[in-house]
Amino acid sequence: MFRKVLIANRGEIALRILRACRTLGVEAVVAYSEADRESLPVQLADEAICIGPADARRSYLSAPAVISAALLTGCDAIHPGYGFLSEDEGFAEVVAAHDLTFIGPPAGVLERFASKAGTRELLAAHGLPTIPGSVGMLRDEMHALDEAERIGYPVLIKPSAGGGGKGMRMVRTPRELESVLRVCRSEARAAFGDDSLYLEKWLDENRHVEIQVAIDRYGHGVHLGDRDCSVQRRHQKILEEAPTAALDEAGRADLAQRAIRAAVAAGYENVGTLEFLVDRDGAAFFIEINCRIQVEHPVTELLTGVDLVATQMRIAAGEPLGFNQTDVEFRGHAIEFRINAEDPEHDFRPSTGQVERYHAPGGPGVRMDSHLYSGYDVPPYYDSLLGKLIVWGPDRSTAIARGRVALDELVVDGLVTNVAIHRALLTSEAFLDSKMTTNLLDRVGSAAFLSAAARVG
Amino acid sequence: MPEPLSPKRGRPERRAADRSAAERSVAERAADHAALDQLAGTLLPALIAKLGASALGEIEVREGDWRIRLRRPLDGAPPARQTRPVERAADKPARPAVHPLDGLTARTESRGVATSPAVGIYRPRTDLHAGERVRAGDRLGSVDMLGVAQEVVAPADGVVGTSLAESGDAVEYGQELLVIELTPGSVASTNGNRAP
Repeated sequence: MFRKVLIANRGEIALRILRACRTLGVEAVVAYSEADRESLPVQLADEAICIGPADARRSYLSAPAVISAALLTGCDAIHPGYGFLSEDEGFAEVVAAHDLTFIGPPAGVLERFASKAGTRELLAAHGLPTIPGSVGMLRDEMHALDEAERIGYPVLIKPSAGGGGKGMRMVRTPRELESVLRVCRSEARAAFGDDSLYLEKWLDENRHVEIQVAIDRYGHGVHLGDRDCSVQRRHQKILEEAPTAALDEAGRADLAQRAIRAAVAAGYENVGTLEFLVDRDGAAFFIEINCRIQVEHPVTELLTGVDLVATQMRIAAGEPLGFNQTDVEFRGHAIEFRINAEDPEHDFRPSTGQVERYHAPGGPGVRMDSHLYSGYDVPPYYDSLLGKLIVWGPDRSTAIARGRVALDELVVDGLVTNVAIHRALLTSEAFLDSKMTTNLLDRVGSAAFLSAAARVG
Repeated sequence: MPEPLSPKRGRPERRAADRSAAERSVAERAADHAALDQLAGTLLPALIAKLGASALGEIEVREGDWRIRLRRPLDGAPPARQTRPVERAADKPARPAVHPLDGLTARTESRGVATSPAVGIYRPRTDLHAGERVRAGDRLGSVDMLGVAQEVVAPADGVVGTSLAESGDAVEYGQELLVIELTPGSVASTNGNRAP
């Protein structure tokens, strides 16, 4: 195991990694930007080092600053968290060149899975069904129109270098495709520094189901079940749960088995997530692999009891996984609510400012992963995630009941949060009947959800 | 191999700062925030425009507890260093492009402090000694970040004072490195010379 780890991230995930390090008896250094000087991970860390200004390009996204900080503080590994440098194969390579360990897949593995189109081809060759899509990247408008015609409308335009649902557009007609292609290209270039785009067939009524895997350096791997991330707003996940109701028990087991087999065969290493779209008939199509710890990982932790961040660190340190598929048990039902500083009454406008009073809910099966504290100033420079409320119950209805109580107990004064949309979901028929599809919230409209909930309440 | 950064280096002061911040009332903090917002959103852009349009070398404004001084660099570069905060969500509301405190230097009435531009190894200029006169923007040394030297510059005209870090020290971004004692009246005396 490592002696000392540099945490090159912020917010709730920096805190989560700090806790994993302490559990493993590993020292941790929190690398932070000037804007995060007063943040909770910085205050709780044994050691913290300022790596740059608020602008993430000169701090959390600066490979030289992060690596320099790791060397100066005597660390032997870097945990990138999610976002920022977490899936950057160039960064992983430079980290290794400085005799430091990148906690995640090695650079060569990241490179193999860097292109989404390439990954689809690779995993298709290892037996995973993939969603019909364009062959290679879109060269120009003519090529895009031809490919869309072949796949059949509606299609989804996706940036190859993207992640987290950013920069994606669904189009239903050739005219729409023509009008947004240029915008998508410039958005992709601005957000990811790479304007490669590809097309995917859009399934109108689909569910988003993902399979968590953990594979050690020696090719021994297990799956840790599924997560249903169908509750989305404009392709951004806002609530995740497990197990999914999109598949029956046999279907879930089959998908998870096929996913872990394909990931091992394709040479994946460390923890990762294979994302699938599941259509109305229960057919699953592979869409992409996430080579990092994910925001929604606690759902799986509550269901299986496996500490995914510690597992990720052990694998990166070269340890064997140490358990088999038959050792993994799935108990009950878990739901994660992403608590964002966004105003659902005003088109999810982000809000920043001071948290005047913060109270985290508790009780059986309730976990709150958050970096908030009373008096904390939420800086405006980064994403709007304030924390994650995760609830567990022996069955889904108990988990939902605990979720309602916990959401009512949560206090975040001084900021507008999206808690109202979660409350609304927990009263909506579609959610209670496990009928949420990825487009439902956008199709029905968040406002309709909120007012329906107000009537029920 | 650089000497590892001492775990507690620079932290006692920060802890003290934390405490004082915590002890301040919500109202005081809110007032500070309002003041900062006004600085960033209204005052600073107006000052930059004013300085750009004028032949003045320097503008100073006092408001409440705040004092802002904008100075035109000798090389004719823009009068204030601008950084644009990275916004990960594309739909965030418009924010001022200038961070309220960026480009302003921590200083008391009579001294300025040169701070580290990067996380790395500090290399002060060997030919510069305490008591020597420097001008704002003069190179005082560098911080080596993975083999790339980042310049440490004087925050104001003055005289080289106490060193707060040694050559070869591991320093973090923003760490105080070298005191520059401001000579009384230095601002006034340089004003006339600075017209372009």
